[in-house]
Amino acid sequence: MPITSYIAQLSGRLPIAYRHNLEISSRKDLLPRTFAQNQKLVDGSSTAILAMIIRDLGVRHAGRALAQAQPAHQAQQIRHARQTCLRRLSTQPTTMTTTTQSSIPAIFTANVKSARRKRPDEVDKTAEVYERGRQLRAQIGKLGTDVSTPYRPGDVFTNPPGPGDVTLELLMASQAHMGHHTSLWNPANARYIYGIRQGIHIISLEQTAAHLRRAARVVEEVAYRGGLILFVGTRPGQSQLVSSAARLARGCHLFSKWVPGSITNSDVILRGLPLTMLDENDEPVAGYDRHLQECRPLVPDLVVCFNPRENYTLLHECSQVNVPTIGVVDTNTEPTWVSYVIPANDDSLRCLSVISSVLGRAGEIGHARRLQDAKMGIVEWKTPLDVASFTTTQRQEAEKEAAKSAAEKSAKEMEVLNAMEANNPNASRVSARKM
Amino acid sequence: MSSRGPRQIRPGRIYQTVTNLLNHRIIDSAKVQKPIWYNVVESIPPSETVVRPLPPQHKVFNPNSKKRKPSRLFQPQQLVYEEDALRDRFYQDHPWELARPRMIVEMDGRDAERYDWSTGLYQPGMPLCGECVVQRQMWMMYNVPGMTKDRAYDIVRREFYLLRQQEDVQRRIAQEEARKVGAYFGKSHMQVGMELEDQVYEGWKKWAGKELQEQVAQQDAAYTNFGAGDGAEDADPDSSDAAEESYGGGDAAGPEKNTNTSPADLIPR
Repeated sequence: MPITSYIAQLSGRLPIAYRHNLEISSRKDLLPRTFAQNQKLVDGSSTAILAMIIRDLGVRHAGRALAQAQPAHQAQQIRHARQTCLRRLSTQPTTMTTTTQSSIPAIFTANVKSARRKRPDEVDKTAEVYERGRQLRAQIGKLGTDVSTPYRPGDVFTNPPGPGDVTLELLMASQAHMGHHTSLWNPANARYIYGIRQGIHIISLEQTAAHLRRAARVVEEVAYRGGLILFVGTRPGQSQLVSSAARLARGCHLFSKWVPGSITNSDVILRGLPLTMLDENDEPVAGYDRHLQECRPLVPDLVVCFNPRENYTLLHECSQVNVPTIGVVDTNTEPTWVSYVIPANDDSLRCLSVISSVLGRAGEIGHARRLQDAKMGIVEWKTPLDVASFTTTQRQEAEKEAAKSAAEKSAKEMEVLNAMEANNPNASRVSARKM
Repeated sequence: MSSRGPRQIRPGRIYQTVTNLLNHRIIDSAKVQKPIWYNVVESIPPSETVVRPLPPQHKVFNPNSKKRKPSRLFQPQQLVYEEDALRDRFYQDHPWELARPRMIVEMDGRDAERYDWSTGLYQPGMPLCGECVVQRQMWMMYNVPGMTKDRAYDIVRREFYLLRQQEDVQRRIAQEEARKVGAYFGKSHMQVGMELEDQVYEGWKKWAGKELQEQVAQQDAAYTNFGAGDGAEDADPDSSDAAEESYGGGDAAGPEKNTNTSPADLIPR
């Protein structure tokens, strides 16, 4: 059956809206190849294909008709319909049960199918959609629910609370009072517990606030004296809060595993890390490159740990070299592992975010005070002994060099004068003796 | 790592340790420097740890109690509030209220300052739930003269029912409005229930069919077929049973059919 007569046969039976969609299919160059292959199947079951086309076209266009019922876009719609109509005509009819097609496994026909199915070029309708949305908003106005987002977990990092913002309400809203089940407690923490509710221990928020303020003071004072503060939080999800606290307090952070021996065996583990020498105004100082290459690795002056239960090794090393530690201690954590205890819920990221923000802000305040005092000439910290000894040795060496070069210079001048004397004994001897 | 690890004393005593080291030096000529944190820890010492003071008391001490054992004196006590009894009663009477999801994330923790239970059950920032009933009941008990617990409960819960009915009506109307403008919803509870019933029924049908086939097979096995065919003795008992199972269901109606066909003939080639 020729294609044009077949199309004429079909178009007579289809509803008017779709009739002109088929005009384009009469052009042979636009038809996909598969239509010719489907011809022999078409002869026997044109009604089946007809049913298929009507059904599929209905399915394809019902949704579109509901969503975009605008006269302005009908041309676009028609073009789309035409393309989909073409696509549908080229695919296999669902009512056909052909043994040849069904017996071939899909894996062998997968590539062929994708080669046959030519997707129409995606037209960019962003501008139209935006304009339509603007019109709708102008029509609807302020009707509907006012959806607001009063709480976002990331707000605590954009506006971190400081030591002065610590209130019992803030700590309760941050779930800092929730301890573990009563059967899992460490009795050494009994002094921090307010009571039992729903099977868990409730941490006293007065204790939390007091201990947090004390720890913040320690962080601030250590930062004021130019100390290096290390913030540690190795549980998943703690990387952001640890690094933000370290950034505020100009310290170091760690959110992966603590390598055992990083303090007691620092000469091996932390060898070769880059260092800078700074003066009281935090300006880099030149001339210490040799020292920085040869010096021992730095040891923190204060360690803040947000999950002490998982960092026993780190805290033990700190105690061995007398480094003070601050730790967030839950009802099942051992409080004696740290120097300064902050009794709070260490399983809540929101609680730890608040605590880390408070300590980070305290460090920021300390550093700001330090730099302000340094401008006025007040410096509360001393040069470390190894740096001072390096400076002394450098100066001694420099003096020696200077003395040596001066001696060499005078020796050379003596030589020159002696040589001149040898040539002209009368004139130069007097001058040599004078010298 | 070690969860209940050994108790340490060094972290709390770094100041004392370093003071000793500074004061008692082996080589006097060697230079020493105070650590950066030394003055800080000196002026802000760590707080007392480990020692267990008397915990906050939430029960009224009864000096006339016959109990003389002080062993639990230093253990934390249960936090009990007056509203707990009211909550227990409400949720026992309305257990499905517990199934309503509730968001408990607080913003600044000062929601209670914004509640005024004299105005009604709806309060800003709180959904209508059993807690509203309890709080309003408490307010009534303590602010309305002559009010008892039971009377307050009855009044407030009737207010609650009215509001819940209003919510149900609003929900129904909202669904109708949404359907009118083209929204479609998932399966209703009835539809889901019917589908589950259908699945169970289909499963039962399969099971029943198998049981029936087994029964028929047993009945057939009771009657042996003499001279039914050459393959009767050669065939495996398993394959003949399989053949009977697949074709036994159809033979339930006519036993005379079975006598004509042998198990060997029923095996598909």
